[in-house]
Amino acid sequence: MTTREDVENMILRVGLGDRAAFSALYDATSAKLFGVCLRILNDRAEAEDALQDAFVRIWQKADSYAVNGYSPMTWLITLTRNLAIDKLRARKGGNVDIDEVHDLKDTGPTPEAAAVAASEKSRLDGCLNELPSDRADAVRGAYIEGYSYDELAARFDVPLNTMRTWLRRSLIKLKDCLS
Amino acid sequence: MTAADDHNDDIALAGEYALHLMDADARRAFEARLDAEPALRALVVEWNEQLAPLADNFTPQTPPPAVKARINAVLFPATPSRTWSLWRVLAGSGLAAVLAVGVLVMLPQDPAPTPFTPSLTAEIAAEDASLIVLASFAPETGVLRIDRQAGAANAGRVLELWLIAEGADAPVSLGVLPDETQTDIALPETLAQAISGGTLAISDEPLGGSPTGVPTGDVLALGAVVSL
Repeated sequence: MTTREDVENMILRVGLGDRAAFSALYDATSAKLFGVCLRILNDRAEAEDALQDAFVRIWQKADSYAVNGYSPMTWLITLTRNLAIDKLRARKGGNVDIDEVHDLKDTGPTPEAAAVAASEKSRLDGCLNELPSDRADAVRGAYIEGYSYDELAARFDVPLNTMRTWLRRSLIKLKDCLS
Repeated sequence: MTAADDHNDDIALAGEYALHLMDADARRAFEARLDAEPALRALVVEWNEQLAPLADNFTPQTPPPAVKARINAVLFPATPSRTWSLWRVLAGSGLAAVLAVGVLVMLPQDPAPTPFTPSLTAEIAAEDASLIVLASFAPETGVLRIDRQAGAANAGRVLELWLIAEGADAPVSLGVLPDETQTDIALPETLAQAISGGTLAISDEPLGGSPTGVPTGDVLALGAVVSL
């Protein structure tokens, strides 16, 4: 089973230009990252393109991983998720841009890591549950489905500015609870 | 606006950034701040890590194999990974010896006027026997005799001969093979000493040979150097 340390080592070696490590990293993480692309884009061909872009970027940016402070899967998932969302927005004719990346924890963790991940999950769930349910759903929708402010406003049937205010206040409350 | 308000503002901005909710302009402006403010960078990292459990909602699915091939083609166009991994495997192990067990019983019948007394040989052969080159080496004279028994270069391409010395991590070019089926190559002493226990290989290269000093095309044939 691939551990968090394994993935971290692979990324560090990829940062040094190690192609064998890159191949191993792909084999170990592409299924999860393809899952990210599929969920957000909901289209196989586009998801494959997004996954390709993600790994090209991983190859190019792995040398910055060591100093960016992320856990390995968080970095990979954030990078992939952001690229997939950019593709989604481009398809919808919205604004697009690309850049930084980071996010999650899931790999094949050690029991200890799994326990930590589980407690982080329950903490996040607990804090989301303290928000009004529609606001919590908005945060989840933004993360999991890649919804933009426009889409969130339409889905929750509120004006755009109201949605912005909601979400920002929700984020501040959420952070307060998480910290 | 108080300092606490500013801080809350940053918390919300960092959260929006982590969720990828900002439009391009807002993102650029925020990233300019990130470059200058380590505390803000730390806040973004913290957000991403704290939101990470939501990624459990992304169900893993194995992508089709073509995606990996496309990525390799984009990133490493000049040296296909297949070729490279093959070199690595060969250079690092004795696997090549297995490929060349069907050695040669018939050595060149002294085609040259000078006495040629080889003590090392290799059958450099493609798996499907589409290319077979017999190499024999006489350490006293440093002459490597090449006898191409089957196959030829592709149109507009050449065959380049390489030596992968035992334990070496990169092949050394022994030159492009001529159109003639038989040729003698005089090896410099350093290479002559390295050939024993090594592997000879032939790659497909552009006219004039590999422009980079390492194989750039497919490895067509290989054979381990063995004692006669």
